[in-house]
Amino acid sequence: MALGTDRITFWFGCNMLRHAEMIRLTIMLLERAGYDVSTVGGPAYCCGTAHDHQLHAASNMAARTVGRFNEAVEKDGRGTVVTWCPSCHMHMSDIMSPGNVTAFEIAHVSELLAERADRLAPLLQVAVKRRVLLHRHLGFATHVAVNERVAGLLARIAGLQLKQGPAHPGHMCSALAALPGALTAAARGTWDAASAANCDTVCTIFHSCHRELVALEGRDGISVRNWVHLLAEAMGLEGSDAYLGWRSGGAPDIAAIERVGQSRYHALIEPEIRKPPPL
Amino acid sequence: MTRLKPARAATTEAFLAAAGPELAALCTACGACFAACPMVDAVGLGAADARSVTDGLRRLARGALAPADTLAWVKACAKSGLCVGACPQKDAGLDAMLLVRIAKQRALNDTRQIPAKQDPTLFPRVKTFARLQLTDEELDTWL
Repeated sequence: MALGTDRITFWFGCNMLRHAEMIRLTIMLLERAGYDVSTVGGPAYCCGTAHDHQLHAASNMAARTVGRFNEAVEKDGRGTVVTWCPSCHMHMSDIMSPGNVTAFEIAHVSELLAERADRLAPLLQVAVKRRVLLHRHLGFATHVAVNERVAGLLARIAGLQLKQGPAHPGHMCSALAALPGALTAAARGTWDAASAANCDTVCTIFHSCHRELVALEGRDGISVRNWVHLLAEAMGLEGSDAYLGWRSGGAPDIAAIERVGQSRYHALIEPEIRKPPPL
Repeated sequence: MTRLKPARAATTEAFLAAAGPELAALCTACGACFAACPMVDAVGLGAADARSVTDGLRRLARGALAPADTLAWVKACAKSGLCVGACPQKDAGLDAMLLVRIAKQRALNDTRQIPAKQDPTLFPRVKTFARLQLTDEELDTWL
């Protein structure tokens, strides 16, 4: 099948599965930008980046995932794999592709949306009266100018005032979690900058930053939103942030807990959603 | 758009095995990557000798034992990427961040100077989060 430039595979990664509404909103944004989207992710599409201690297993995971993307090119004409996660993106670029034949190219979702910002702009009809601080990291700029791309998209939203936050080490907050004090320092830097600039909203770019910072929701009168939440809000769409609600003391619906099983819920989910905030 | 590199090995494992010594051979252990790294102070390496640390980096990437300061540094890598632009050997093909990554892998798997930290709950946890939120159709088509 011939490659279609508008036919894409959206590869959201593994850890984005905590944020279903962010996946759905991203699909919606890509579709409204004119892309035909096939969405994949989760452990069956693992890049292997978290398995540096098991190189053979990681190598097999990489081969399986590249094979699936090659198949999507061959059978469905999807020649571009669109990433969300910077770890997946860098791993594909630097480690997976030199060790596997790839029939596709990759792009980060922020690049595709920025490229078609003119097409999205007329859809941003609702003024979003927020004073927003963008939570940023230094990393990933080696591959994609994500801070600039996201800032450019947010600048299209009427009513939104954007301030650049300090750029913290790492490519996202999860990279700092293993180092004592580093994650706290990044959260503190963002929060203090937001307070000093009289911002009412901190905007995250990546999922791992979002899952840490939402635990601070409401503190000092500051809310936490992801950039796709803000774009959706400007389109008049509500993307209810379930993870934020859970980290703020809420819990999933009992039917959902029964669906996964009480024991799995208590063993796997509760410890994470009840862990102390980073500050 | 990121144009992917052409395959130069049959597997990522084979690529990494070859790339470690190749990148180490390009490295002059000048210490520029270490000097540019924003994690150095965070791990208490501000007074460390940059040349010594990066000489250890070369050794580790070849699978040889490295000194403690090198291990502490590669272990703390958060992928900030400032080392990439700071490396004077960049134009010769040295990706400093990849060299650090491979060195860390060697310390985990070959010299075993860094203990492996496994999280066996990683995949079960994300699958459970998925089942809490996704519809049956989304579970079927996305995962």
